[in-house]
This record gives sequence, structure tokens and C-alpha cells, in this order.
Amino acid sequence: MRYALLIIALCLSITPVFAGPPVFTLEIKEHLFFPDEITIPANTKVKLHVKNLDATAEEFESYELNREKVIAGNSEAIIFIGPLDKGVYPFFGEFFPKTAQGKVIVE
Amino acid sequence: MLLNAVIITLREVLEASLIISVFLALSQLLERKLSWLLLAMFVGAVGGFVYGQNLGAVSMAWDGMGQELVNAGLHLLIFLSLLVFMTSVPHQHKKRWRIVTLIATITAVVVAITREGSEIILYLSGAMSIPNMLLPVLIGSIVGAGIGISVGIYFYYLLINMRLKYGMWLGYLFLLLVAGSMISQAVEFLIQADFIHAGKPLWDSSNLISERSVIGQLLYALVGYEATPAPIQVVAYVSSIAIIAVATVISYQFRTPPHDD
Repeated sequence: MRYALLIIALCLSITPVFAGPPVFTLEIKEHLFFPDEITIPANTKVKLHVKNLDATAEEFESYELNREKVIAGNSEAIIFIGPLDKGVYPFFGEFFPKTAQGKVIVE
Repeated sequence: MLLNAVIITLREVLEASLIISVFLALSQLLERKLSWLLLAMFVGAVGGFVYGQNLGAVSMAWDGMGQELVNAGLHLLIFLSLLVFMTSVPHQHKKRWRIVTLIATITAVVVAITREGSEIILYLSGAMSIPNMLLPVLIGSIVGAGIGISVGIYFYYLLINMRLKYGMWLGYLFLLLVAGSMISQAVEFLIQADFIHAGKPLWDSSNLISERSVIGQLLYALVGYEATPAPIQVVAYVSSIAIIAVATVISYQFRTPPHDD
């Protein structure tokens, strides 16, 4: 038991060393993305942290990024994107596409 | 909003509808009873509801990659069902194999409806909770589902009214392409979950056939079309089709004469 705790403690202390890819946060509010444009570095994997603040579900979808993920109402999701070439990659909320539009700008 | 409801429901229904119609037609051509289908569809709908209701919790499991892993698993399960189905068909004169075929069919139908149904249920339950949206969303979804189911019915009659040999071949060919599409989608989810490295897309045909276009959407449902596929997706697509084709041919070679059983 003591060893188990020690191992857990070690793992926890090690975690920050592997901080992983940079995190970008997106919010969905009233079927809009905030911000609706995010700029990320080229050739780098990034982690999108999408928070759906609406009560309704939304599907983050992008043909250009080859991503689709349903995010239940009042919940969060993580989506990895990249590494990407420079360019503009639109994304949208499939459930409310009239308003939920955004793009990833890779520089 | 109405049009959007049509499109979303159509997209999800179309894929499941095509798979089910081909299984139905092949079962009919194999002179199997079709009563199981109602049960499988009902179980699939329940599965879709349960998955949809728990999607938030599923998503946050496995470091936030739960949804990707479950979806990859569901697509893989459909692929395996197709593999078992196609290799068991040449042995239909044996009762054991007939049961195997039936189990594979039911699994594929249940899983296909669970996967597509969960998204429809999440969409509907959300959209209908918005004031004044209930009616347009409901009408739009019924229209979308109607079109999707009609295409499936059309495909079904096309297959069963062809000469037996051609109907079986066309059905087989379609299932092969669906199998490739399932593996390609499973790989895409594993890439999204960061389990597999995507690399640069092998090609970019978005100027030729956009995934947004009607043709692009239809091709996606039919053959798993991607405008910018990862190299590994293409490799997985081609090899999964090759595996099923080879396994089916081998199974056909090993079939025993009908009077054995």
C-alpha cells in the first residue's frame, strides 16, 4: 500500500514534466464559438479544450481538419489537431451551423 | 433550422439505412426470415438512446478520448460483423453457419443504428428544447429520415429484383466498400484521439469533390469518401477490403457440398 501511494505520488509529480501540446480553449455559448478564430503555430500538435456552455449538445466538425466530436450540453471535450501546414481551416457546429462557425488559422 | 434538421437526420440515417437494406436484401436472397430485423432495429434504437444520454460521461473517460475510442470500437465491430457475414454466407446449408450469419447481421444492424442513432437523439433532444423549434426540427427530421429510409428501400428492391447472381455480387461489393469505410472511420477516430499519427494528407480532392457537397456526402455514406485522407487511412481502407475479399474467396473454396447436412 505504501509503495502504491509512493508510485502515485511519483506519477503525479512527474506529470508536469510531460506537459504535452499547447492548449487552446474554445467556448460554445448560444450556439456561437468564442473565440471564433484561433491562431496556432504551424507544424505543431495542439489540444483544443472545447467547453459547451449551452444546455444543448453540439458537434464540433471540420472537413478540413478531419475532426468530428459531439459535445453534450453543459460539458467539455478535448480535440487534438495538427501538426498542420500554414493555412485557414474552417470548423463549425454541425447541430447549429447557421451561427456556430469558426476557423483555425495556422501561421 | 428546418433544412438543417433535414440534412443532419439524412446524413445519419442514410448510412445506417444503406447497410440495413443490403443485409435485408442479402437475407432475402438467401431465403432467410426477416423478422429478426425489427428486433435488431429496436435494440439499436435503445442502444442509441443510452449512448446518446451518456455521451458526456463517455467523452470524458480515458483522458477525454472516450468518445473517439467507443466510436472506433463500434466501427471496428461493424467491420468484424461484415467479415463474419461474408465468410459465413458460402456455408448456408449448415445450421451452425446460418446462426453465425444471423448473429453477424444482427450485430451489424444494432451497432450501426446505435452509432448513428445516438447523434440524432442528442441533436433532437437539444434542438427541440429551444422555444418554437419543436415543430420545424421535428418536421425536418421526419423528412430527412424519410429520404434516408427511401434510398435504403430503393436499394433493397434494386438488389432483390436483379438476377440472384448479380444481386448477390452487387450486395457483396457494397458491403466490401462499407467495410473499408468502417475501418477508415475507425482509424480517423484513433487519429483524433492521438493514438495514431496522421501525417500529411495523401491527396487533396476537396476542389474536385468537396465533402460539403451533396455528391461528397453521398460518396461518404456509400464508400467512405474523404477529400483529405491520412496515408494510414488509405492503407487501412485498402487492406481491410483485401482481407475480407481474400477471406471470402478462401471460405468459398472450403465450402462443402450441400448434401452434407
